[in-house]
Amino acid sequence: MIDTKLNSLTIAAALAGAVSMAAFAAPTTVHAEDEVQCYGVAAAGENDCANAAGTHSCAGQSSVDYHGGDWKLVPAGSCEEMGGSLEPFEGVNPNPPA
Amino acid sequence: MLRELQQAFRRGVLSGEDDPAALAVIAPDHIPPAQRFGIYRNNTTGSLVGVLMAAFPVVTRLVGEPFFRQMARTYVQARPPRVPQLLAYGSDFPDFLSEFAPARKLPYLPDVARLEWARQEAYFAADAVPLAPQSLQAVPAEAYAGLRFAPHPSARLVDSRFPVQAIWEANQPQNETVARVDLGQGGERVLILRPARLVLVYTLSPGNFALVTAMAGGASLAEAAGAALASEPAFDLQAALAGHLQRGTFTSFRPGAGEEKEEAQER
Repeated sequence: MIDTKLNSLTIAAALAGAVSMAAFAAPTTVHAEDEVQCYGVAAAGENDCANAAGTHSCAGQSSVDYHGGDWKLVPAGSCEEMGGSLEPFEGVNPNPPA
Repeated sequence: MLRELQQAFRRGVLSGEDDPAALAVIAPDHIPPAQRFGIYRNNTTGSLVGVLMAAFPVVTRLVGEPFFRQMARTYVQARPPRVPQLLAYGSDFPDFLSEFAPARKLPYLPDVARLEWARQEAYFAADAVPLAPQSLQAVPAEAYAGLRFAPHPSARLVDSRFPVQAIWEANQPQNETVARVDLGQGGERVLILRPARLVLVYTLSPGNFALVTAMAGGASLAEAAGAALASEPAFDLQAALAGHLQRGTFTSFRPGAGEEKEEAQER
């Protein structure tokens, strides 16, 4: 079969090529961990907030029972500003931007 | 005895209705037992709602906070935590959203939630050192096609018929304005990865997504490349593999069983 698009040889060549491409760029990958360490602190802090929200919840929680909420509520975030997002998606934007 | 009390307590917290068996053990004082229990119930629910809001900030922004809180309360009652770890709570929130009638107007909402949960999982996944590309140079090229690669523990894949990553980016909590996202631009396939400290997100072509999905599922490189070409005829295998080696999508490889079989046949 001459016209086989995919055989062991082409796959091997692709991986070999990818290895040499990636090997050149490899040093950045190796040191990435050190470079981004400071970001890790911020991300962890955010998550501590989540845990704090979960474990220390006394503030602002009244004894009023929330149960039985009224589901006439309608989503009212930024969705409506996005354009076309309130209608089911069928391949074409049903509400083109005004 | 204790078990019955615990069950009554659980019912009283989660059903939102006072359970006489739970109230009976609360000593009355100037606050009536039912009211005292109500405070506890609201604290429990409020804590879990807070956990969900922290895990799904973009969903929160999309629907607005009042809507999200009410939706989350319904979720908490329907699907209370089953694991004693708050970071694991919310794993089936995306599925819940797809069944949640008041949110049906936003058909992309469950997929945005899937993306947010994938980011959360990637963040808390085990640390692992990505595969060093050079380590493949020790393998004979004849064996390449049969290699099987282990995905990084943080790798997550989200396939959506909506431009889910674009929606996520447009609705970051710190954004003051919302960029318009055209839902007609088609779906997005996303790879989430935390090779080091940061959670990184990549939007993949259909072929590339099929490649990683197959490889992460244990397929050999040849099988995965076949799946990729089947879904994208013009798929560039070398460029895709170079990308994954650079970002650290995989951590290790092993020779496949199929490869050994082929060698045996040749003998």
